[in-house]
Amino acid sequence: MATDRNDLLPGTLELLVLKALSLEPMHGWGIGQRIDQLSKDVFRVPQGSLYPGLQRMLRKGWIRAEWRTSAHNRRARYYRLTRAGRRQLETEASDWRRASETINAILRFRLADGDV
Amino acid sequence: MNPIPDIMERLKALFLRDRLERELEEELRHHRELDEAAGISPFGRVEEIKEEVRDARGVRPLEELIADTRYALRALRRSVGFTLTVVATLGLGIGAATAVFIVVNRILLAELPYPDAERLVRIYQQSTPANRGTISVVDILAIRDQQRSFDAFGALRPASVSVTGAGGPERVVAGRVTAGFFRALGVRASHGRLIEPTDDSPGAPRVVVVSHAFAERALGGATAAVGKVVPIEGVSHTVVGVLEPGRNDLAGFPAVVWPVLQLATPGRRGPFGYRGIARLKAGVTLAQATRDLAEISVRIFPLWAAGFQDRKARLTPVPLLEAIVGPATGQIGLFAGAVGLVLLLAIANVATLALVRTSAREHELSVRAALGAGRRRLAWLIVTECLTLTAIAGAVGVTSAAVALKGVGGVAPGLPRLREVAFETSGVAFAAIATLVAGVLVSVAPFVSLFTGGSSLAATLGGSPARAGPGRRANATRGALVVAEFALALPLLIGAGLLLNSFLRLQRVDPGFDPSGVYSLALSLPSARYSTPAAVQGFWRRAEARAAETDGVIAAGLAGSLPPDNFGDVNNFDLLDKPVPAGTAQHLAPWSPVSPGFFAAMGIPLLDGRLFTPGDSATARPVVVVSRAWAATYYPNESPIGKQMYSGGCTTCQPTTVIGVVGDVPYRGLAGEADAVYAPVGADSQDVDLSLNLVVRSRIGAAATFRALRSALGALDPQVAPVEVVMSERLRAALGDPRRWTAVVGAFAAAGVLLAALGIFGLMSYVVRQRQREMGVRLALGAAPGSLTRLVVGRGLRYAGFGSAIGLALSALESRWLGTLLYGVRAADPATIALAVAVVMAIAVLSCWIPGLKAARIKPVEVLGGERGP
Repeated sequence: MATDRNDLLPGTLELLVLKALSLEPMHGWGIGQRIDQLSKDVFRVPQGSLYPGLQRMLRKGWIRAEWRTSAHNRRARYYRLTRAGRRQLETEASDWRRASETINAILRFRLADGDV
Repeated sequence: MNPIPDIMERLKALFLRDRLERELEEELRHHRELDEAAGISPFGRVEEIKEEVRDARGVRPLEELIADTRYALRALRRSVGFTLTVVATLGLGIGAATAVFIVVNRILLAELPYPDAERLVRIYQQSTPANRGTISVVDILAIRDQQRSFDAFGALRPASVSVTGAGGPERVVAGRVTAGFFRALGVRASHGRLIEPTDDSPGAPRVVVVSHAFAERALGGATAAVGKVVPIEGVSHTVVGVLEPGRNDLAGFPAVVWPVLQLATPGRRGPFGYRGIARLKAGVTLAQATRDLAEISVRIFPLWAAGFQDRKARLTPVPLLEAIVGPATGQIGLFAGAVGLVLLLAIANVATLALVRTSAREHELSVRAALGAGRRRLAWLIVTECLTLTAIAGAVGVTSAAVALKGVGGVAPGLPRLREVAFETSGVAFAAIATLVAGVLVSVAPFVSLFTGGSSLAATLGGSPARAGPGRRANATRGALVVAEFALALPLLIGAGLLLNSFLRLQRVDPGFDPSGVYSLALSLPSARYSTPAAVQGFWRRAEARAAETDGVIAAGLAGSLPPDNFGDVNNFDLLDKPVPAGTAQHLAPWSPVSPGFFAAMGIPLLDGRLFTPGDSATARPVVVVSRAWAATYYPNESPIGKQMYSGGCTTCQPTTVIGVVGDVPYRGLAGEADAVYAPVGADSQDVDLSLNLVVRSRIGAAATFRALRSALGALDPQVAPVEVVMSERLRAALGDPRRWTAVVGAFAAAGVLLAALGIFGLMSYVVRQRQREMGVRLALGAAPGSLTRLVVGRGLRYAGFGSAIGLALSALESRWLGTLLYGVRAADPATIALAVAVVMAIAVLSCWIPGLKAARIKPVEVLGGERGP
């Protein structure tokens, strides 16, 4: 399966959304764009799961939504991080770092004499 | 995690649904516009994304529940007949069960209405748990002086006394009590004071405490009552206090007046007849009190051994609640069992109805399935409908329970604590649980049948071939329902059959005398004015003579006990030629003082020896006449005439000689043994009979006889207040309880059998409808129509057989409660059980016959032709 754009790794959507929103409040389309851009277009946010995901995060109290006028003078629904969301981002980010380091360490592992 | 945002979002989703939808629409449109502007191909699946967002709001199940309930209510309104049937069947079932729950709760479980009531005990004289009796003055004094376990201890002596209030002399129930009785119970006076320790010593001025109701009725109100002097049995008593309103019984004894009980120094261990009531000290267990009292029993035994030889008897404390309600547990248990079975039958029946209805609605449900409703969604729809239905039935049930509770007294007037039974909120909780369980049970059958093949709906949903026969699991559900109905109906039938059997036997019991034309007046002489044995004997002699001379009276006599269930006294005796081993209890028998005329008035025949002569009562040689049952018990193969015994445990007294044998008359109830000993009135100079029944046989009817006797007695002593008894009514009243129980259980059984028959009929009709295609094929292939009828009926009989087997096992449990209520028939009576099983089988045949005939009349052309149709 040779595609240059991959779907997100399972379970990472919330982390990436939290990270994107930690930079500045954005509307849904902006969040998708920002993640695409930050991942250098390696990941693509599936539209289908972005909005249900935002709804779930609203219920968890990590983000808030409010209607504002956008740069193009249009009413848009902006999401911003709450204090609970910022804490959640720190927790998830450090969890992710530990997990990825561990996995990397496992992948680097070799037997001493090179034989298997 | 902070739950507030979650709750807020969910509330918004519920109540601001339209706004959220608009916002979602706008947000997604904005997204697509931006995509287009940026040259990205806009995403599709807008509706799907919307659905996912709606799911993420977390209120989807609740929204569906509301929609389903609305839908269910609409559907139920469309089929009024079905709804009414279910609500009535289940509602009454839940109502009856709730009423019984409250009865059990209030009577058997609720704490007695006294402070710290769990510390209250009644003290019995007990040889074995089955053989408990009252205590005596010796016991009372010993407990009072020696016990170390109780905060308070008092005694009660039940009596029926004549009291003269505002309305003249009347006969009321009295409880003579010591001061400790009120102290132990912890009750208070609303006016005045209660009986104090100074009141109950011999010689102290006589005082009485009265119930609030009696003060209002006969003493001019509670305030005016205190200080009044009322004659009780001719002895002046000063009213010192009035109990709180509503205290109509104390320690389970329903007395109107509570005169002081003053205990004289005893001369022997007996007589018994006193109830001991005590309050355990805080921290003292029942076991410690039992040991304490047992030590007292052992200590006092040698002091009185001459008159009381039961070395094993122990004074035994029993929790007061158990003492009061213990005898009623059998009746209430039977009642609860019958009601529970009917409720289960109602549930099984409603499940059947729901199953049949679901199959009738298959088409509608198929359409919904085809339109995209998922399996889970449809299941929920059906469950919601069943739950809505049972919820309505539950509401009806709670209401009918409140009504039914008012009728408990009519069904079971003899229950203890009946006055405390009233609707309570725990009944609502019980009804709610019963409703929920019923709802779930009712939902199971249609649920299973819908999704386990066979139906066209299952085909739509699951893709299985629509023409296949009913699925194995759906079949099993149906079978289980029929089997359950039989299994539940059989114990009801057996119970009703046994009670009816026992009732008919009781009705046929020979009372030993012809009650028509026999009347009795219960007379009680005030001891104050009849203080010498001579005065008492003189009155009785004159009263009997006057009665015998009264116009219309054929014969007249006196007796202490009245058949069939009033043994005035029970006495112990030891036969000289067959003494009981030392240290064991002596024999007991109902012991009635009678005058010679009694046997003639009652029409009790002399079988052997002779009756009393007027000379017998005065002689120094005590004599008795015994009943045939007594003779058969103690002298089975010889004549008892001339045999001798020590009566009342008095071995130093002159022995008593048997001089005659008379016919059997029951005194221990119609179901009891007919053993009895008669002694001449006035034979015991120690213990004069102040209360006797004047029994006459008359040829002029009750009213005229009583009028004539009243005027004759009034001439002798105008203060005596007689109680009139018509013997034929007494006999009928003795059958009252068995008649009521038979009627109640019979009614439940009838309802149960009807429910079962309808349920089985409905179900077999349904089975025939389900299988009509298969049966049509069989007919087309040449099967005889009769064979299809036989097939259906045979299936029904097989179910009935299974059900009966389970039902028999169930009814074995029932016998625990039934046993004590039966007379002359065992709970495992084979004839009754066989009859009940036969009835169940007959019902099975009858209710399968019509569906069977329908099966035989299936027209293959129509059924199979129908395949082309929609």
